[in-house]
Amino acid sequence: MMQFLAAIEQSGFSVWVRESNSLLAYPGVLFLHTFGMGVVAGISGLIALRILGCAREVPLADVRKMYPYMWAGFYLNTVTGIVLFVIDATTKIIDPVFYIKLAFIAAALLLMHRIDREVFGDPLLGKRPVQINGRMLAFATIVCWTGAITAGRLLAYVGPGVIASSGGK
Amino acid sequence: MNLSTLTHIHLLLNHFPTVGFGIGLGLFLVGLYVNSDPIKRASLGIFLIIALLSIPVYMTGKAAQRAIQEEPGVSSVLMETHQDAALTALVFMEITGLLAWLGLWQFRRVTHATKANLTAVLVLSLITAGLMTRAANLGGDIRHPEIRAAGADPSDTEWIRVASVAEFINTTNWAWPALETIHFIGLSMILGVALLINLRMLGVAKNISFSALHRLLPWGILGFGINVLSGFLFFITIPDQYTQNRSLHIKMILMMIAGLNILYFTMFEEPWRLGPGDNASTRSKIVTTLTVVLWIGVIYFGRMMPFIGNSF
Repeated sequence: MMQFLAAIEQSGFSVWVRESNSLLAYPGVLFLHTFGMGVVAGISGLIALRILGCAREVPLADVRKMYPYMWAGFYLNTVTGIVLFVIDATTKIIDPVFYIKLAFIAAALLLMHRIDREVFGDPLLGKRPVQINGRMLAFATIVCWTGAITAGRLLAYVGPGVIASSGGK
Repeated sequence: MNLSTLTHIHLLLNHFPTVGFGIGLGLFLVGLYVNSDPIKRASLGIFLIIALLSIPVYMTGKAAQRAIQEEPGVSSVLMETHQDAALTALVFMEITGLLAWLGLWQFRRVTHATKANLTAVLVLSLITAGLMTRAANLGGDIRHPEIRAAGADPSDTEWIRVASVAEFINTTNWAWPALETIHFIGLSMILGVALLINLRMLGVAKNISFSALHRLLPWGILGFGINVLSGFLFFITIPDQYTQNRSLHIKMILMMIAGLNILYFTMFEEPWRLGPGDNASTRSKIVTTLTVVLWIGVIYFGRMMPFIGNSF
């Protein structure tokens, strides 16, 4: 396993992303990952806030139409996240913060999926207030994205990745 | 931009927080006296613009300090005092700007700003005007010894001391990562709100009226406030890695324009008339798209600060 990770970490692609002076290499990937984070966490968070009762005049049925754009942000971050993992694979794989981040993201996505089914799939959507179950899911989503962003930032400051990272203070 | 250019910008912009804010305050008082909503709204708009402009005024001040600190007759204590007084004034200025925006938002939301809001803006703007004048006077003294109060030995006894804040953040190991984290959360809030408004204007989810969407604006402004605060704490902790960072200069210019765009959503009639099912005007589409593009630019040049410049 470690051998495989070391191999992809030393591949020509990884070396280019890590060491090229081009702004399209590591800086570009890092920017796209930050942008994707803003899209997926921003839109999810606002959907959750609407379910919790903010901006009640916004019809819930229309809020659902924002889902594809949220997923687009997520897919962008899956791709850029894989690149960021590959170039630092042997370090990330032993970093507990990395697993905490992934767990928060997985939980947030599961919650967004359940909100899609249970809140937006409610045949009485818009005709009655969102049930307590739906509001719990929304609240948990916000907690999970906050956790994911926190863990993601901490990757640069705690654990084995600190020295390898160029983003940290 | 080099130190000399930045110093010129400091000397040019530093009149806005005193003169410009004074005009805003005068207009606000007239608006309250004759009870005219258009005058109140105009003055709240001025407060917001001046609060935005005060950000580069403070930041370029550091460059001005570095440009002249070696010259004979320039008192470093006086510059520190000016800087600390400026930070106190800036804190009040930004809170005033935030509440002024909230007043503008309330004019839409409930057709008038609440008494509580206008009272708070009145009290804060008077305090801010006093603090800004004081900071400006201390700043003027740096290069004009002839107008300095005779016999007054400069000593830095300001209420907020930049050096103390910087020392706290520098010596507290969780402070910087915590600020980074909330800076990213604020980023997500701003981008999320900008994107949703843009998507509505472009025709996705057309059943949402602008007045409904308007209720989401405070979340974006909250994100902006969080990021101005956390961003400033970065800046005052390690100013020298930022003052001449080219990427930060571009980021700040884009942020100013993006910040001014908020006036379109709170003061203009055009977006407000957009009902459920309506097609947005071309101008609304352009302005909201531009807002998203500007914020993406802010994120880009923020992220590039270690790579285009040398800051982390």
